[in-house]
Amino acid sequence: MTDINLGNRDGIESPARKHAIRGLGVTLLQTVAFFLLFAVLLEGLARTSLVRELLPYMTFGSWHYQLDLKWLLLKQYVAENGGMDVIVVGNSLVDTGVVPEVIAQTYFEKTGVKLRVFNFGIGGLTVSPTSENAKLLVDTYHPALLIFVTEMRDYDATNGIRTETKYLSDSWMQYQMGNFNPKGWLVDHSVTLQHYLPYRNWMRNDFPSTFASYLGTYHATSATGYEGDLAELTADKIPNPSTSDSNPYFSSSQPYQIDPTRLVCLGTILDLARNGGTRIIVVEMPVHPMFFEFAGGKAIHEAFKEKIAETVRSGGGIFLPATEEVAIPLDGRANLTHLNWKGAPIFSAYLGARLAGLTSQDGMMFISKQNEGGQR
Amino acid sequence: MNITTLAFAAFMVIVIAGYRLLPSRFRNIWLLAACLGFLLTWAWQFAVFLLIIGTVNYFLGRWLGAAKERRKHILWIGIAFNIFVLLIFKYSDFYIPQFSAVLVRLGIDTSSEGLRLLMPIGLSFTVVQLISYLTDVYKQILQPEKRWLEFNIYVLYFPKLISGPIERARLFIPRLDQPPSLTTDAIGRSFALIVIGLVRKLLFANVLSALLPAAAFTQPLNYSAQMLLLWLLAYAFMIYNDFAGYTSIVRGVSGLLGIELTSNFNTPYFSRSVAEFWERWHISLTNWLRDYIFFPLSRLLRRKFPNPEHIINFVLPPLVTMLVSGMWHGLSVNLLLWGGLHGAYMIIERIPTLWSPKVQMDERPKWQQASARLFTFTLVVAAWLPFRMDFITAKRYFAGIILPSHWLKMDFLWMSEVFKGRLPVGDVYAWNIPDPRVLLVLIPAILLDWVQYRNKDELIFLRWPRWVRAALLAFVTLSLLLVSFADSAAPFVYQGF
Repeated sequence: MTDINLGNRDGIESPARKHAIRGLGVTLLQTVAFFLLFAVLLEGLARTSLVRELLPYMTFGSWHYQLDLKWLLLKQYVAENGGMDVIVVGNSLVDTGVVPEVIAQTYFEKTGVKLRVFNFGIGGLTVSPTSENAKLLVDTYHPALLIFVTEMRDYDATNGIRTETKYLSDSWMQYQMGNFNPKGWLVDHSVTLQHYLPYRNWMRNDFPSTFASYLGTYHATSATGYEGDLAELTADKIPNPSTSDSNPYFSSSQPYQIDPTRLVCLGTILDLARNGGTRIIVVEMPVHPMFFEFAGGKAIHEAFKEKIAETVRSGGGIFLPATEEVAIPLDGRANLTHLNWKGAPIFSAYLGARLAGLTSQDGMMFISKQNEGGQR
Repeated sequence: MNITTLAFAAFMVIVIAGYRLLPSRFRNIWLLAACLGFLLTWAWQFAVFLLIIGTVNYFLGRWLGAAKERRKHILWIGIAFNIFVLLIFKYSDFYIPQFSAVLVRLGIDTSSEGLRLLMPIGLSFTVVQLISYLTDVYKQILQPEKRWLEFNIYVLYFPKLISGPIERARLFIPRLDQPPSLTTDAIGRSFALIVIGLVRKLLFANVLSALLPAAAFTQPLNYSAQMLLLWLLAYAFMIYNDFAGYTSIVRGVSGLLGIELTSNFNTPYFSRSVAEFWERWHISLTNWLRDYIFFPLSRLLRRKFPNPEHIINFVLPPLVTMLVSGMWHGLSVNLLLWGGLHGAYMIIERIPTLWSPKVQMDERPKWQQASARLFTFTLVVAAWLPFRMDFITAKRYFAGIILPSHWLKMDFLWMSEVFKGRLPVGDVYAWNIPDPRVLLVLIPAILLDWVQYRNKDELIFLRWPRWVRAALLAFVTLSLLLVSFADSAAPFVYQGF
């Protein structure tokens, strides 16, 4: 037994002490070497096609699994198609309401140009986290056009705060936002971890059901990020604020107001156009008219539209408010706000036509400059 | 501050550095400051409260040491004070709602939350240590501690504060006076204890805890017998690894300060009798109960009933001791039942010694030892039922396991259809298949204990070749890293006591 008096500050290094510390150091170094060896072996294995086939699901372990899913699908889409022209961002209304193929097809029919469009709608997000998504997407993929599909709740100060906090505090998301952290870095760079993370909660008793719902979303989402909704709104199911006990859409205790900090986030999205070749279009989602009754009536909605139009205009973007031009039948809606598999193509065709209009009338092109040499 | 966090690791680095670098006259001041700092990360009220409790007991000890007469009265005042404090805080769940209701009726708006928040961490552990201190001073086994600082370090010493081990002042305080030198053996042992503790806590206990569905312990009859049985085993290993893991970590941490803490667990599930189980499970509490409840009670009864085989001498000491153990864990019927069951087991175990001489377990054939091991394990695991749930639910859980009608057919076909994507997952518990993930954790957990038990050395790993140790440590680190990516962590089960 060798005595190491670590409190000894007489400056004399005994050989026994040196030997003992060296012994501990060697064990530590060997441990690090074994750790690196295991990590490298696993990383090598994870990059083989065998593992890719056995474990097809990959995530970044973020709190919102739809973010993982959309990010990986987009990465895959860009790898397969050589780039990206149009990205549509927003919340679940975008996820289930925008069919990228329909936008591309309509645009192609009217202009003869084939666009590469991706739906990056993520459930539960307001304009605030969406602005972070938009920044990431523009910085990473430099699309020619970013479409932000919005609605009144995006600017309601009380809406989506918990989701926003959890969404943005995630290690990988923070790393993507430029805030370096070891966990975020590791997840971003390790394929082993990306293969493991879908199963990271394997020890939780609710894992089978949560994993099943993750798989359900995975399989229901197309390669362009669209997730069809099969639910259908019928006349007898339309909620009415005069007969409803509570307001499921807005904080009923106060009249609807646009939160100024949320408007700043809209400004952040619009500012993305200033940095380069990305054009920004803000589109209002054609929700059911009854929805506005929950917000306080048509006048409140008109005031909202005016404020958004003014902000978008001053930010150099284009605002397309919801008009009667987009005639969504009742059976094209899943509820007052979401479109279903029948309504989404109608809205998407409208979007495609409006883009084509902007190209033919104003000469706006929506092909990413970086990708012009691509497969067209 | 949770002891499995990086924040605690950083805190320890600072504490150890300060403790070792400061001149000796400042070391204990630094240690008490560290104890108070640790408590402040929970709530400042804890620090103030425990300091007051410590100071009161310090003066009680000195009073007891100086007194020439009525010493017994002083001892009982001290014991009553400590038990009163425990009753006030620990069992507040019983009386605070009623107390609040009375206040509300009097028109005083109050919330019981604030009162409950004041329950200091590890109070049960602190109180039994203080009772043992006063008793030892009374018996003149120990001189009353004259130094307020050292005495309060004994009370507040942060590695043992939350969940023990329960240390005796006569052994602990002298360690504070020893120069803090560290041997390479001690460093190696301390790190090994920390690693084993982390494995037990984070890889075994937390994972098993997350795997257990809460509904199984509230509505057990909704599940098949085979699932209930596996979950009960998982619970048994969860609670053991949780507590043993905690103790192992704090022993390692304290070892790095040069202050050795008592070992609290010694592969208890390999015991061949319930009496042996208690020599291996929560050893510091068992020793305390033996010295301050069992022996005094046995001596008292022997004075009244001199025949050692008198039914009173035979039954009362183990039963009362185990009932006190149950009450120490919490004042509830189910915990009393748990203690009572263990007491009853120990009485029944001793019955054969009434007519035949006791044969040492080691001298018995191997098959008898193995059967005894299995039987004891079954009894102990069955007793965890009232420990975990109320009496009625425990009864249902027990019925759920033993009734043949609850051994339901396992639906492997359904499971395979789900895996092929032909059916939605739905309710996986309806498959009646015991969760294989539990086995994934149970097997290595049992293996760890088996290696320690076979070699009669909890740190046998230190005798393995260096490269094997390094490879094992690297594997553990990798596993800990992977498990750390899960979305939540469970608190220590024993933290509430």
